[in-house]
Amino acid sequence: MVVIPRSIYRIFIGIMALALIMAIFWRAGMTRGWVEALRETEPRPIQLRIWDWWSPSSNEEFGDYFAAVKETFERRNPDVEVIYQTVPFANYVQKLSTAMVGRTPPDLFQSSGFWSEGLYQRGMLRPLNDLISKDPVHSDGSRLDEAAFLPTAWQHNHTQDGVVFGMPMIIDASCLVWNLDILEQAAKQDEDIRDMFVRHPDGSVDYDHIRFEAVKDWDHFRRIVKKLTTYTPDGEVDQAGYTIQAYGAVGLLPHWLATNGARFQDMAGTRAMFDSPAGIETMHFISRLYWEDRVSSSFRRELTPADRFQEGKSACIPAGTYSGKTIIRNTMGWTHFGKTAFPPGPQGQGQKTVTWGNMMVISNRSTNVEAAWRYIKFVCSLEGNLLRLKHLGYNGPRLDFYETEQWRQAMAERPYLSNVKQICLAGDKLRHTEITAADHQANPIIETILLQYPDMVNGQGPYPSVEAAMHEAARNVNKVYDRYNRQVKQWKRQTP
Amino acid sequence: MAVSLRQKLVPYAYIAPAMGITVVFSVVSMGISFYASFHDYDAFVGASAFVGLDNYRRALLEPDSYFWLSMRNTMFYVAMSVVGVLITALPLALVCQRIRKGQALFRTLYFLPSITPGVVLALVFFHIFGIWGGLLDSAATALPALAILGVWSGAGYNMVIFLAGLADIPQHLYDAAKVDGANRWHQFRHITIPMLRNTLVFVTVMTIISAFQVFTSVYIMTNGGPERSTEVITFTIFINAFSIAGQMGFASAAAWLLFAVIFVFVFIQMRIFKSRNVYDG
Repeated sequence: MVVIPRSIYRIFIGIMALALIMAIFWRAGMTRGWVEALRETEPRPIQLRIWDWWSPSSNEEFGDYFAAVKETFERRNPDVEVIYQTVPFANYVQKLSTAMVGRTPPDLFQSSGFWSEGLYQRGMLRPLNDLISKDPVHSDGSRLDEAAFLPTAWQHNHTQDGVVFGMPMIIDASCLVWNLDILEQAAKQDEDIRDMFVRHPDGSVDYDHIRFEAVKDWDHFRRIVKKLTTYTPDGEVDQAGYTIQAYGAVGLLPHWLATNGARFQDMAGTRAMFDSPAGIETMHFISRLYWEDRVSSSFRRELTPADRFQEGKSACIPAGTYSGKTIIRNTMGWTHFGKTAFPPGPQGQGQKTVTWGNMMVISNRSTNVEAAWRYIKFVCSLEGNLLRLKHLGYNGPRLDFYETEQWRQAMAERPYLSNVKQICLAGDKLRHTEITAADHQANPIIETILLQYPDMVNGQGPYPSVEAAMHEAARNVNKVYDRYNRQVKQWKRQTP
Repeated sequence: MAVSLRQKLVPYAYIAPAMGITVVFSVVSMGISFYASFHDYDAFVGASAFVGLDNYRRALLEPDSYFWLSMRNTMFYVAMSVVGVLITALPLALVCQRIRKGQALFRTLYFLPSITPGVVLALVFFHIFGIWGGLLDSAATALPALAILGVWSGAGYNMVIFLAGLADIPQHLYDAAKVDGANRWHQFRHITIPMLRNTLVFVTVMTIISAFQVFTSVYIMTNGGPERSTEVITFTIFINAFSIAGQMGFASAAAWLLFAVIFVFVFIQMRIFKSRNVYDG
């Protein structure tokens, strides 16, 4: 019998362990940088620094996406080296301010619609109008101007007087996500619910596709979600028809406001508008769904509507159009779902929602503006949109994107995508001025209304009425806007 | 023997790196914060207008600053934490001291929460409190729930401090008391408590200081809600400093006001510590 010396055995184990670690690193895309560093011989004249909260190391999909973008862009632009820097979403603005003050800003970065307007008003973003008018066409023939994008995607990236500070890269919208298994079960006995589905050409029900206008109006929505709610023997909600979350409730207001012809704020960001009669009517509608119709399970901070939905305990929840991939991942593909916009209220017209968008922006302290624009043209072109669809499964903000074979194929493979374009087209602009500060003022009051609605209606709550509470919240938000607008004027005076 | 200049300078050279770090990261940043508190200040734009004491006035007098509301919440939290720590850490220390076998194991177990990251504890307790009937879902119970977490995570650390204090009490005092017929309660009342006075003061003051600075659990578990019932002063400062444009000056003013309140407690601590020996006379 051959005896393997102990030292050889140890070396063998060591090599195997090393190989295993390298395989993990390689599979996770973490060796890409080393390989590229080895491949590079001559440093390129332009180092283009790009910030993003998306990260090549998030997972394989993001790794592949960033690798494809970098490889294609650098091949076509031999003078540019792309350097990605990942910054967590939560610290993005803070770190951006620090980098700019410290003279180490990125050349360009992905910016959320959440902050873009504020960043521009603080003087951190370079206007893009001159670049768009001078050189608006990417090499694949796709244009980068207003006409090329969904109108709802082009509403987040410019000021009221037409200064464009970002190029749309992603569009998202709030939507209703429906559990089609629950609906199909109920549809067997209920014509009303059966009507929510698309019909095949032969007239049979297509249980994979929910109609965009499946729910006609608020009353219809109440009827539907009441039918879909089931209760335990002791009267608790077992399966919610629609899940409402009171904590952070200000987030559920904008899309319902839009359905009733109301808005959270004016476009100029000077006053709150959610306490209009239509806004107050909306607040009553949401509160009654919970307290009178009892279509939602109890408010619980640790359980989000998405958690309930993924447990199969809610027939319908509000979510973003981006949520499909997350639901599939978290339910391992078992949940069968579809998406619609929100039905109109008494003062509203047609299916509505709110949209928001991410955009590529150029730092006003970038020294590589021309190369940054080349990069923007690439990632915001049809080609860039299709790369995101291929690797990340995201829909795009471009009109031509929805005419492509790739999108049709994606809809065939994932039927929940079928209404996404219409949902995005039905969107008003999400609240956009000093969102955190406005939420800090409004949210506790909206939360109080939802938590104490019966007392408030009877005049026994912390506010004399729902109307009084909404007016108080709006007054507080107006103070935020006043203070912010004064500051913006001051910043403009300071900036040469 | 004369000491050369070089010998005199050596100690300063040793402390220079630590001093440098302290000056840059504490003194300078505190100075900037003090300067910012008198200005409209934005992290990117920098200081714009000098506003004098206006940020302090806003914090103290304007209702939408929520300074007093968050200060009131903080005070409640501090009171619950101090009482909670004293009624858990001291009995734990007394029990632990009497254990003959495995004292190190118990000490380690109780100490574990103190070395576990606050974010992890907050996430775990977020779900535990949800299972326990939604303690974080009501304005009446959310702040006490956060205090329970604060007490739980601080009890082990304070127990170790008490154990050290207990170990310092001379055994002959107990022996003499026993000879005089003192029972357990008498020994505790007339020997343990007086001899632990300095430790008690230290634990109380340190608990007060750390409770005034509670932030992680609020940020992770309640975000100040429901209905602002858990909005503590550090949360208000954080939101204004880092999430709202141009409010760094206001946040700095609120931070200095918090400093003033904590300073009062530190001052009291220093006064009490002036007399260190209990049985001097």
